[in-house]
Amino acid sequence: MKLFVKYSRVNIIASIGALLLGSIGYYFIVRYVLVHQLDDTLKIEEAEILDYVKTRDRLPEPANYRDQQIRFIPAETPVARQFVHTKGRGKGARHPDPDEPYRELLFSVRAGGQLYVVSVSKSEEETEDLLQLMMLITAGMILLLLGTLFLANRLLLRRIWQPFYQSLEGIRRFNLSSREPLPVTGTDIDEFRSLDEAARLMTLQILKDYEILKNFADNASHEMQTPLAIINSKLDLMIQDPGMEERHHRPIQSIYDAISRLRQLNQSLLLLTKIGNNQFVHTEQMDLAALIEEKLVQLEDMARDRHLVVRTDLDKLSLPVNGYLADILLNNLLLNAIRHNREGGHLDVRLRDGSLRISNSGAELSFDPATIFDRFTKGPHSAGTGLGLAIVRQICDNYRWPLVYAYEDGMHVMEIRFPLQNFDKIHH
Amino acid sequence: MKLLIVEDEKALADSILHYLTRESFVCEVAGSYVSALEKIELYDYDCILLDISLPDGNGLQLLKELKANHKSDGVLIISARHSIEDKVSGLQLGADDYLAKPFHLSELKARVAAIIRRRHSAGNNVIRLEEIGIDTLARSVEVSGRPLDLTRKEYQLLLYFAYNKGRVVSKNAIAEHLWGDDTGAAASYDFIYTHIKNLRRKLIEAGSRDYIQSVYGMGYKFAL
Repeated sequence: MKLFVKYSRVNIIASIGALLLGSIGYYFIVRYVLVHQLDDTLKIEEAEILDYVKTRDRLPEPANYRDQQIRFIPAETPVARQFVHTKGRGKGARHPDPDEPYRELLFSVRAGGQLYVVSVSKSEEETEDLLQLMMLITAGMILLLLGTLFLANRLLLRRIWQPFYQSLEGIRRFNLSSREPLPVTGTDIDEFRSLDEAARLMTLQILKDYEILKNFADNASHEMQTPLAIINSKLDLMIQDPGMEERHHRPIQSIYDAISRLRQLNQSLLLLTKIGNNQFVHTEQMDLAALIEEKLVQLEDMARDRHLVVRTDLDKLSLPVNGYLADILLNNLLLNAIRHNREGGHLDVRLRDGSLRISNSGAELSFDPATIFDRFTKGPHSAGTGLGLAIVRQICDNYRWPLVYAYEDGMHVMEIRFPLQNFDKIHH
Repeated sequence: MKLLIVEDEKALADSILHYLTRESFVCEVAGSYVSALEKIELYDYDCILLDISLPDGNGLQLLKELKANHKSDGVLIISARHSIEDKVSGLQLGADDYLAKPFHLSELKARVAAIIRRRHSAGNNVIRLEEIGIDTLARSVEVSGRPLDLTRKEYQLLLYFAYNKGRVVSKNAIAEHLWGDDTGAAASYDFIYTHIKNLRRKLIEAGSRDYIQSVYGMGYKFAL
């Protein structure tokens, strides 16, 4: 629920409640005041009648005029003086209406030895009309107030909360690899300014920590290269020794292989960080088809070694990309398709309609296909670093090329789509 | 041939020294920026193996000094930083080649020999291995005067052996030399065997003696 909706809901419900209560109170107070006024008139009438009876000891002429009637009813017992609301007392009126409301004052008076109940009544119609009108005006005012309140809140909130939304957008757009701290929204509202500052400080801290971590990984990888170089060089010297026995050859070969793997692991990790940091900014227009052909020639020994049937279907496609990264991308994809293929399997490379599909007929994955592009995901018998496809994804992410893996008809398919606006397609 | 090894890691410098000295090379080692600077001011070297990260200075600075003094020493940078920027800036400063750690000594030897060959090749660009002659300029091979037709890989292989003659060269070193770093650590090195077998057959058929020996399970040796 949006803040505005929530705020308006509470605000309007509270306003309606308060206004409703207020109106009810208002109604009763006004009514009380009006009835009280009416009663005062009746009291004056009573005083006049009592005065008249007192001085003359007889009843005055019953006078009915306009909305006021006076009646004298002979009675046996006196009644308690009281004000009542009645209806249709306008019998003496010219147009008696049985529903017309009346305010009536009853009291007893003795005149000429006879006890009378005197009824002085006055139409309440005017009072009711007045009340109705007042209530109508009040209701109108309430509606007007609520409407204005709603609109004002809406406008005000929109405007006042603008910096908040700006900050939010900044946080949402925050990207470690772009290394941009949050922009300053420049608001004059204290709360938002402190939010802004807190978020900025946080992102700066994150950037700093990230930098430290990255440098650490970078340095660690580099520092490992020298000891590896020492091990490798000592092995290179050892194998020159004519006194070395054949039983030592295998272990030495294993050490060589292990060094190779470590070196590759190191290089891949460094490469991943560098790509992630956008350190390969230089781009040039590359002919992808030519690059693929070239790469296939480079890798043909490995493909032949596994007796693979390589099929290519390459459209011309030229796109702006960093040459080194394009090389790595194709190398890793093709090498992956060769390595994890079965003996005598198929390797299909298809570059058509702005999409590159590299398929291989390797055995089914022994791990979750969703993790295929994750770091260190690899099958149990893979001699690779588990970083090759992670690098591929990192490169594709950098260029915002959608990369998908699918297993179709016994083939592992890696597909990269190159966005249309990024290349000039030339058909044969 | 005089070489200077500028490397602060003593164990590594020793290995390099050991591997290269057996050839006609005279090697000296400088373990620090200061001692290296002293040496390059005093002597001329055919090739300087230069480690970029020295405890008391940057190897690239040394390279600048060298060029400022109009020294014509060949320079091979050996660096633990596997970065293109370092490579580019090193080569722009006038280094002849760049080799990232860790490397195979046979690869180092081949690079050093190539640098020296390029610098001293005036009129002589043929490497002689008994009856085999490798013309590094024309990239051609002849056996007893008759030209031998080799594929690119076979030629590279033969040249690599020539630079490391009499040494056992590991399969990993050959694979990385011929197919690059990215293809190393392959599940099998059978494809190396194919190329070696072909090269060997071609050489023998051309009348050369069989110099290429297999060192079981580990590598090969070009034994003259």
